[in-house]
Amino acid sequence: MVELSGARALLVEDEGLVALMLEDMLEELGLKVVASAAHLPKACELATTASFDVALLDVNLAGQFVFPVAHILRARKIPFLFSTGYGGPPLEEEFRNTPAIGKPFSIDQLEEKLRTLLPRP
Amino acid sequence: MQESNHPTKRSAPPDNELLRLVFESATDFAIFTTDPNGITTSWNPGAERLLGYKTDEILGKSADAIFPTEEGGFEAAAEERRSALAQGRAEDERWQMRKDGTRLWASGLLMPLADRDAGFVKMLRDRTSQHRAAEQLAQSEELFRVLATNIPQLVFRSKGDGERIWASPQWTIFSGLSFAASIGLGWLDAIHPDDRKETQAAWLEARAKGEYYVEHRVRRSADGEFRWHQTRAVPMKVSSDADAVDWVGTMTDIHELRMLQDRQKVLLAELQHRRRNLLGVVQSLARQTIRSSPSLDDFADDFESRLGALSRAQGLLAQSDNRPIELGDLVRAELEAHASADAGKVMTEGPAAPLPAISAQSMALALHELATNAVKYGALGQPSGRLMVRWEVKNDRSRRQAIVVWRESGVAMPEGGPARKGYGSELIERALPYQLGAKTKLRFEPDGVHCEIAVPLASEEKRDD
Repeated sequence: MVELSGARALLVEDEGLVALMLEDMLEELGLKVVASAAHLPKACELATTASFDVALLDVNLAGQFVFPVAHILRARKIPFLFSTGYGGPPLEEEFRNTPAIGKPFSIDQLEEKLRTLLPRP
Repeated sequence: MQESNHPTKRSAPPDNELLRLVFESATDFAIFTTDPNGITTSWNPGAERLLGYKTDEILGKSADAIFPTEEGGFEAAAEERRSALAQGRAEDERWQMRKDGTRLWASGLLMPLADRDAGFVKMLRDRTSQHRAAEQLAQSEELFRVLATNIPQLVFRSKGDGERIWASPQWTIFSGLSFAASIGLGWLDAIHPDDRKETQAAWLEARAKGEYYVEHRVRRSADGEFRWHQTRAVPMKVSSDADAVDWVGTMTDIHELRMLQDRQKVLLAELQHRRRNLLGVVQSLARQTIRSSPSLDDFADDFESRLGALSRAQGLLAQSDNRPIELGDLVRAELEAHASADAGKVMTEGPAAPLPAISAQSMALALHELATNAVKYGALGQPSGRLMVRWEVKNDRSRRQAIVVWRESGVAMPEGGPARKGYGSELIERALPYQLGAKTKLRFEPDGVHCEIAVPLASEEKRDD
């Protein structure tokens, strides 16, 4: 089993209510949300400076695409999961094969996706 | 006088038997003779057929009647005779006239007879249908030229492999490539490098399909912009040899259309995104409501009333077409939904304050939590309770914000304050600052709830967002 418990997470989600729920879900799964952002500039800053093991990224942040954050995380070799409102993979060719989860999703679906991301201990 | 200079052995029309046979049987040719002044002296069956006069009708009369007036009439006939005498023969192609007045296009030859005093022989051949065909061809060529050089499309002719043999002036003007630079495969220089492969590949398919079709970007020399064009071509069906057939094609600028289509794709994706986000919000409302509901009935009541607030906010957003929403409208819609019929209990006051569309939903839900709470435990549920909602607009440095104050009074607060922090507190104290960058204070004063929300407003320039 992959250990989710204790993993530190960055949450990027522009809708406040959804962010609250995702934080609850992540914490129910044993993760700790150590940083969260609703807007791109703050998300980029946190992606660069914060310490965490995994990130959940909303693809569309109030009309801006989250891809700059994804580039930073890729450079830092931190795994991440897109949450997308588009009902499919991200529109950007470059990230077609990155794990993604379509909104809205259940806690079980989130858990399953996260397990594929985190390294086995 | 000429006649006295050339006295006179009058030679008759062909008297040799062979010549007579030719004369008689050449029905495709009108052959007739006239005296020096154009008076008919013989008239063959071909002349009867082509010109409509019977031999006995015309003999002894002027044959000049076959020159219609628009061709110069008798004058032209006389001129032709002068020319034949001077040159030894007069050849022409012109309109001639039948007895019934209709015209025929004839190629004619007038020669003086060996004995000049005997007059002339004229031979006419009917070329009307060839002449009409040539005229039609010239007309259709002219039509093509006018069309090809005046329609906004760029027109070209090419071989079946895409090698151009002609391009319209518009092509040269648009692409900046001269005629010489465009023929062969030179025209490919104006095609976007990324589209050239597809452009050429389409020629390979074209022959099998009988049609060439591609959408590609063509460089406009005026400003260097690559503009989307739709290029089609079809073979001209004039030769049975498929390899020899020329193709004619047009290139139509569809740039604006493509841009609109791209924009529509973006809008559709955005719509999809919003719909999914809304589902996410509903899911979040359901989860958070479950957590604070002691029973299924409680859940049903709270969830329905929160969905109501969400749907009112969506309604206002739909009306405003996602432009900023007046804070006052949002406040009043929420208070009215809670049916505080006693107008004296509630007072709202504040200036115009455009709330960005993106903030409206969370603000509406926050106001809803305050109002629901006021109905259950506060100013809207107790006879002595009063509620004042006021807001003001502050401009400091780059940002405008509204300071909303929700002040309840005359309320007997439950012993020891609220039992636990509910969904409303979480929304106001965490979600609003997180999502909207709002600053919020929520206090349970001895005489009622006091809440202050400072929320950024839409800036003047960005009201269309």
